[in-house]
Amino acid sequence: MSTSNLQPVASGIETSRVERECLSAIEQHYYYEARLLQNDQYREWLEQIVADDIHYWMPVYEQRFARDKRPSPTPNDAAVFNDDFAMLKMRVDRLYTGQVWMEDPPSRIRYLLTNIEAYHTQRDDEYQVFCNFAIHRHRRQDQHYVHVGGREDLLRRSGAGFRLARRKIILDARVVQDKNLYFFP
Amino acid sequence: MVDIEDLIDVNRAVQSKRIFWDPEIYELELERIFGRCWLFLTHEGLIPNYGDFALAKMAEDNVIVCRQKDGSLRAFINSCTHRGNQVCHAESGNARSFVCNYHGWVYGTDGTLINVPLEQRCHAMVDKSTRGLPQIRVESYGGFVYGCFAADAPSLKDYLGDFAWYLDTWMIGAGNGVELLGPPTKSILDCNWKVPTENFVGDAYHVGWTHAAALTVLGGELAGLSGNSADMPYDDLGLQVTTRHGHGFGYIDRAGSAVHFDRQSYDKFLAAQKPKVVAKLGLARGRMFDGHWNCSLFPNNSFLYGTNTFKVWHPLGPRRIEVWTWTIVHKDMDASLKQQIQKGATFSFGTAGLLEADDGDNMVTCTTSNAGRHTRQGDMVSTMGINNEGPHPEYPGIVGSSFIGETSYRGFYRFYKEVMAATDWAAIRAKDADWDAIWTNREYWRNRGSAA
Repeated sequence: MSTSNLQPVASGIETSRVERECLSAIEQHYYYEARLLQNDQYREWLEQIVADDIHYWMPVYEQRFARDKRPSPTPNDAAVFNDDFAMLKMRVDRLYTGQVWMEDPPSRIRYLLTNIEAYHTQRDDEYQVFCNFAIHRHRRQDQHYVHVGGREDLLRRSGAGFRLARRKIILDARVVQDKNLYFFP
Repeated sequence: MVDIEDLIDVNRAVQSKRIFWDPEIYELELERIFGRCWLFLTHEGLIPNYGDFALAKMAEDNVIVCRQKDGSLRAFINSCTHRGNQVCHAESGNARSFVCNYHGWVYGTDGTLINVPLEQRCHAMVDKSTRGLPQIRVESYGGFVYGCFAADAPSLKDYLGDFAWYLDTWMIGAGNGVELLGPPTKSILDCNWKVPTENFVGDAYHVGWTHAAALTVLGGELAGLSGNSADMPYDDLGLQVTTRHGHGFGYIDRAGSAVHFDRQSYDKFLAAQKPKVVAKLGLARGRMFDGHWNCSLFPNNSFLYGTNTFKVWHPLGPRRIEVWTWTIVHKDMDASLKQQIQKGATFSFGTAGLLEADDGDNMVTCTTSNAGRHTRQGDMVSTMGINNEGPHPEYPGIVGSSFIGETSYRGFYRFYKEVMAATDWAAIRAKDADWDAIWTNREYWRNRGSAA
């Protein structure tokens, strides 16, 4: 099974690149989002970045033979994240209970985002955006985990900024090399 | 040299910290536990058709499970009998043969060696009939498929023993039984395999503290446990059970759906099925159908019925495991309810789950603290509720009175010690009649009943 829908040409979507100025605004938006998450500003992330109709999704890709014709995973299949806004909000609320012992003392997380490409869609106010990430988690004295993957996002213009309406996250590791993925990739 | 007598005291319910650390203990576990016990492979429903296969692990051994033409299952070692190369790398699929990438040796779906390239010209000395992939015993119960390396082990059904009587409640009790949804999520924990197994077998104690944050957010029947602040009748809310071969569980009345964020349609399903389970299996089990069960099937297979997460803790050495997680659903649920259960189980105990995130650190440092030579000379206790347990008039095994207790810890380590010390399965069978002799309060339930 291929994850090739990370290719710029995806079905049903206009594939014309956005203008330089728009791309720059989107890049700045992504870096700002990352900074909120790096600063543990999860409520601000929900309020400023995430659209009410978000689908936040990390499917599970089994390693199969190239000849295997079974379809790619859908949101009705196994996933690591398969969240709507209410579920994301529960994840965020948990972090503010004062009872998350794993984050006390707090861990550090850093988002390295690259390969940002943005395309017009059939709707004037929505953009399809691809990027790659390397997310570094440092915890306790000496725990260091790196998670590498790609995002396929649908961004919607909202006032002067953008809202995240869809995020499909493709984690490249089949076996997650970490005790959990309780962060927002 | 490992002397198990130094490590486990079943009467005092004390275990040496070395059991989570020492490589020589782990080597003995591979031989005497993982080499003898039934280990989870897959579920029948995941490989329904001829040629369907799934990769599995039995401790660190890689295994292929494959559906045969006659509908039976075979399991064999995933390593070429020529030079040892792994024969199949796809996690699942459908195959008519398995071809080794190294020299092209071809094995049938039954594991027999059927073709050796250039055999006549270059490799005529190989007797193909003796070079099949080594076969493993494979049996299933309620659709759950297990494998065993030991020819002298009891059948899977006998290995499950009284635990099967309980599992029937939800494995076969409702309609057409249950199935697993995959593919499994997989992650790494730097902990000993017994830490999560003992946690699932009998640790309701940690729920209120470790999972305080998640319970606060999820609400529901268990929210009162958060922070251990509730004044609850712990003694009347559930049970703990342990059985002959170390399998055990804790059970909370009517809390089946408690950890799901969306409970309504699940509760409706459970309520509709419950009378049928009572009719089929009787009240003793029927009343447990809508409860929440935290279970471990000895040695390394744990599941939460209700929450419906199903896990195997594959050891990768004494201090590391690979966690594989599926979702349990009832076959008779409609597709949308199955998807909802899968979403809910993933949201709590998937790799990014709210409760999964609480447990990992504990499991890791229960292990890694023992890097300290002086630290691991210490011991650990599992004495909670000791003596408030015994044979029960209705329920088989040894039954403890509170779902927050450590009865099934004690049962887990009782069998752990027995199987680690035993020379073979005959030695274990010889103790079948008085396996539960360490539980001396034989009249506990009768006295409790008459006092009530």
